[in-house]
Amino acid sequence: MTSLMPLTTVFPGLVWLMAALALVQGLRRAALWRVGAAAPVAWLDGLVKLPKRYLVDVHHVVARDPYASRMHAVVAGGLLAASILTALAILPPIAGFRPYWFVVALAFGVTAVGSLLVGARRYPAKQKRLSAGRFQILPFLLVAYAVGGTATALLLAFGIGGVFAPLALALAAAGGLGLAFEVRHGPMRHAAAGALHLVAHPRPGRFEGRPDTALQPLDLDAPRLGSEMPADFTWNRLLSYDACVSCGRCEIACPAFAAGQPLNPKRLIQDLVAGLSPAEPAYAGNPYPGGRPAQGERGALAGLIGPDARIHPDTLWSCTTCRACVEECPMMIEHVDAVVSLRRHQTLERGALPEKAVGPVTELRQSGDPGGRPLSARTDFAAGVDLPVMADRQQAEVLLWLGEGAYDLRYGRSLRALIRLLREAGVDFAVLGAEERDTGDLARRLGDEATFQALARENIATLQNYRFERIVTADPHALHALRNEYPAMGGRYTVIHHTAFLLELIRAGKLNPVRLPDLSVTYHDPCYLARYNGETEAPRAVLDAIGVSRSEMARSGKRAMCCGGGGGAPVSDIPGERRIPDIRMAQAAETGAGIVAVACPSCTAMLEGVTGRTSEIRDIAELLLQAVEAGR
Amino acid sequence: MTIVVLLSAGRHPVSGAPVLPRMEAQAIRIAASLGEAVGLHAGPDAEAVREALGLGLTRIEHIALPEGLDPVPALSARLAALAPDLVLAGRRSQGGAESGVVPYALAEALDLLLIPDVVAVSGGADTLTLDQSLGRGALRRVSVRGPVLATVHPDAAAPHAYAFGKARRGAVELVGAAATGVDVPQAIVEERPYRRRPKLVKGAPTGGSAAERLKAATGEGGSAAKGRLLVEPDPEEAAREILAHLRQIGVLAGPTKSNS
Ligand code: SF4
Ligand code: SF4
Repeated sequence: MTSLMPLTTVFPGLVWLMAALALVQGLRRAALWRVGAAAPVAWLDGLVKLPKRYLVDVHHVVARDPYASRMHAVVAGGLLAASILTALAILPPIAGFRPYWFVVALAFGVTAVGSLLVGARRYPAKQKRLSAGRFQILPFLLVAYAVGGTATALLLAFGIGGVFAPLALALAAAGGLGLAFEVRHGPMRHAAAGALHLVAHPRPGRFEGRPDTALQPLDLDAPRLGSEMPADFTWNRLLSYDACVSCGRCEIACPAFAAGQPLNPKRLIQDLVAGLSPAEPAYAGNPYPGGRPAQGERGALAGLIGPDARIHPDTLWSCTTCRACVEECPMMIEHVDAVVSLRRHQTLERGALPEKAVGPVTELRQSGDPGGRPLSARTDFAAGVDLPVMADRQQAEVLLWLGEGAYDLRYGRSLRALIRLLREAGVDFAVLGAEERDTGDLARRLGDEATFQALARENIATLQNYRFERIVTADPHALHALRNEYPAMGGRYTVIHHTAFLLELIRAGKLNPVRLPDLSVTYHDPCYLARYNGETEAPRAVLDAIGVSRSEMARSGKRAMCCGGGGGAPVSDIPGERRIPDIRMAQAAETGAGIVAVACPSCTAMLEGVTGRTSEIRDIAELLLQAVEAGR
Repeated sequence: MTIVVLLSAGRHPVSGAPVLPRMEAQAIRIAASLGEAVGLHAGPDAEAVREALGLGLTRIEHIALPEGLDPVPALSARLAALAPDLVLAGRRSQGGAESGVVPYALAEALDLLLIPDVVAVSGGADTLTLDQSLGRGALRRVSVRGPVLATVHPDAAAPHAYAFGKARRGAVELVGAAATGVDVPQAIVEERPYRRRPKLVKGAPTGGSAAERLKAATGEGGSAAKGRLLVEPDPEEAAREILAHLRQIGVLAGPTKSNS
C-alpha cells in the first residue's frame, strides 16, 4: 500500500509538470510575438466565443477531411480529458477513489486509439501534403503518453503496485513531457497558438457568419508602409502564423502551386514563422515549386522579401488572391492578408512591382484605367445599343457598373446580353459612362494602396452626384471593392451581382425564359463572388430556371479553383510549368459539359484564352438571353 | 558625377491628368543607374513634378516662375551654377507644359554638347558612353568627354514603378526665383485629345468562339477562300500563280515589259 500512495501523487504531479513545461515553452515563443505591432483585440468577447469558434467554425473546415476530423476529435478530446482528469487527482479524495482511475484509464485508452490514427497518416508512408520533421515523432510521443497513462491508471484502479508502476509511469512521462516540450517549436504549438488565435483573430467577423474579406485599409501616413520584416506584422498576425499545423490543405488548394509557380502557401506561412526566430527547426514539407532553398537572415528585424531573402519576390507575385488557402485552412490563418501586406511594402516603399505590372499600375494611377484607354471608350462595346448615361438622367433605379471588362471585345458581348435583358425586363438603369473610373481593385491587390484610395475617393465623389437605389455589376472584383471595401473609404452602397439581379427579375416574372434542356452546362464559380462574398446559389438558380442540364466540377462553390485571373497575377505573369486556366478547363472538361458558364470578366478572358478547348465559354447573361429570345 | 534631370509639368496623353512625362520618367531611370541625380523644374508649381520623387530621384530643385514665362533663362542660370556632367531631358512634348525645344535652347545658351534620342548611358565622370537610337531598333554608340546634354528616346528602358513611400520622403527645394524672362507666345488654338470613335461593322458575326469570329473577320471563308487550289503544279506554273497573287494584293508592281 505504501508504494501506491506516492503514485497517486506522482502521476497527477506529472501532468502538472507537463502543464508547467508547456507554459514555459509557450511563453518562450509568445515573447517573440511582442515584437509585433499593436492590434485591437476584443479579449472578453473572443474568450466567451472561443468554444463556439472551435466547435463550429473550425470543425466545419476540419470535417472536409472526415478521417482527419475523426482522428483529431479522438486524439485531442482524449488527450484533454485524460490530462485534466489526471490533474484533478492531485486532490487526495479523488486520488483515493479507485473507480475514478477506471475513467481515467478509459480516457487514456481513447487517446491511444487516436494516436494510432495519427500514426497511420504518417507510417509506413506519410501523406504527401503533410510535413515531416518533428511531426514524424508526434505519433510516438502520443502513443507513449497514452499507453503509459492507460497502464498507470489501470494499475491504480486495480491497486497493483510493484515493478510495473515505475515502468508505466516512465513511459507516460517520456511521452507527456515530450509533448509539452514541443509547444515551443514542434507540432503541439498549434494547440496553444491555435486556441489563442481563435480568441484574438484579426477578422472576428469570419465567425459571425458574414464573409469578412475586405482588405483592411492602410494608413498612408504611417511611418512605414506594409510589412518588410516580421516586426511589421501585428502581434496577433504573428501568433496566427504560429498556429499553422503544417497540414498542407492550403497547398493542395493553391492554383499557383498546382501550376508549378514558385508559391506554396504552407511554405509561405512557415517562412513567416521561421523568419521570426533563428531557433526554428528546418521546414520539412513540400518546397516552393522550383525548389528554391531557404536562405537569408532571420529575426524580427530581418527583411523577408528579396532575391536573397527567405521569400523570393516571385513567390509573392504568383498569388492570385483567390482565398482558396484561407477557405481550406483549419487554423483560420489569413494568407491573403499576409501576401498583400508584404506586397504593400514592396510596391509603396520600394517601387518593386514585377516588371510587367508596372505599366498597368502606372496607367491606373495616371488615367484611371489599367490599359490607359480613354474612359469615354468604356461604352464603345455598346455602339448601336441605347445606353442611358447618369450625367443626362441624374437618377435611375439601378446603376450599372461596367468595369474594366467593358473594354474587352469578347466580354462586350456578355455586357450587351445583360443590357438587352435589362431592357426586356423594363429595368430603369443607367451607367456612369466616361465618369466611371476603375475601382482600383488591381492596384489594391498588387499592394498599391495609394492608387486604390485615390480611385476610391474619386469614384465615391462621382457616385455622390446621382440618385440610385442599387448598383448592379457583372464584375465580381468591382462588386467586392464597391460592396466591401468602399465602406471603409466612406462609400456605402447596395451592390448586387448581375446573376442575383437576373434571378430576381425571373422570379418577379419580368423575364420569361424558355427551357433549354439540350444545353449541358457546368458553372465555374468566380473567387470574388463565391469565396469573397459567399454567393454560389444565384447563378445556379438562373441556370436551373432555364432548365439546362447542369453538372458540377469536382471543385465548385466556395471550394472552386481559381481561373488564374485575380490578384494581378495575369499582369505579373510569373512563369510556372503549366497555366492555371488550362488546369481549370481540364477540370471542366471532366464533367463532359459542352458549355462552361461564367459570371466574371476575368474568368471569361482566362478561360477563353485556353487553347484546344472543346467547350464553349458563355456568361450566365448570354445563356439567359438565349433562353429569353427562344421564347419569343 | 553631377547629374541633372529636367522635369516638366506634363499631361497624360489620354486622360489629360497632370503627370510627369514618360520620357522624363525614363530619364530618371537612366540617371538613377549612374548615381545620385537631382531634378530641376522651372514653373509656377512644383506639385506637377513631385511624382519624380517616387520614380528614383530624392531631391528636386524648383525655380518658381510665373505662368507663361520662358523657363530657359532661369534653367540655364541654374545649370551654369550646378555645372553638371550630364543633363537629361525628354525629347518632345506629350501635351503639357513641356517643349522639345528647351533642351536645344539650353545647349545653345550653355554651349553644351547635345546628343539626342539616347536610350542608355553608362560610364563615369570623365567619359560617358551613350547609346543613341537611330530609329527602328538601330543604335549608335557615342563616347563623349566633358559635360553633355542628352534627350531621351521612348525606346529607353521603361520607367521604374512609382513608389508612394519614396515620393513622401523626397524633398522639393525652392531655389532662387529668377524673375527676369520673356513671355512665351501663347498659342490661340484649341487642343483636344484625339479619340477614335467605335465603328459598327456591318454583318460582323456576334456569336461563336473567338476563333470563328477571327476567321470571319480575316476572310477565311471569304475572299481568301476563293483562291485556287493547285495540286502538285509544275514549278513554272506555281511561280506564275504566286506572282499573280502578289500583284493582285499590291505587294509587287505590275509586270515589266523588258523583253519586248
Ligand atoms: S490566395 Fe490562392 S493563389 Fe494565393 S496562396 Fe492562397 S491559394 Fe494560393
Ligand atoms: S496554413 Fe493552414 S492549411 Fe496551410 S498548412 Fe498551415 S494550418 Fe494547414
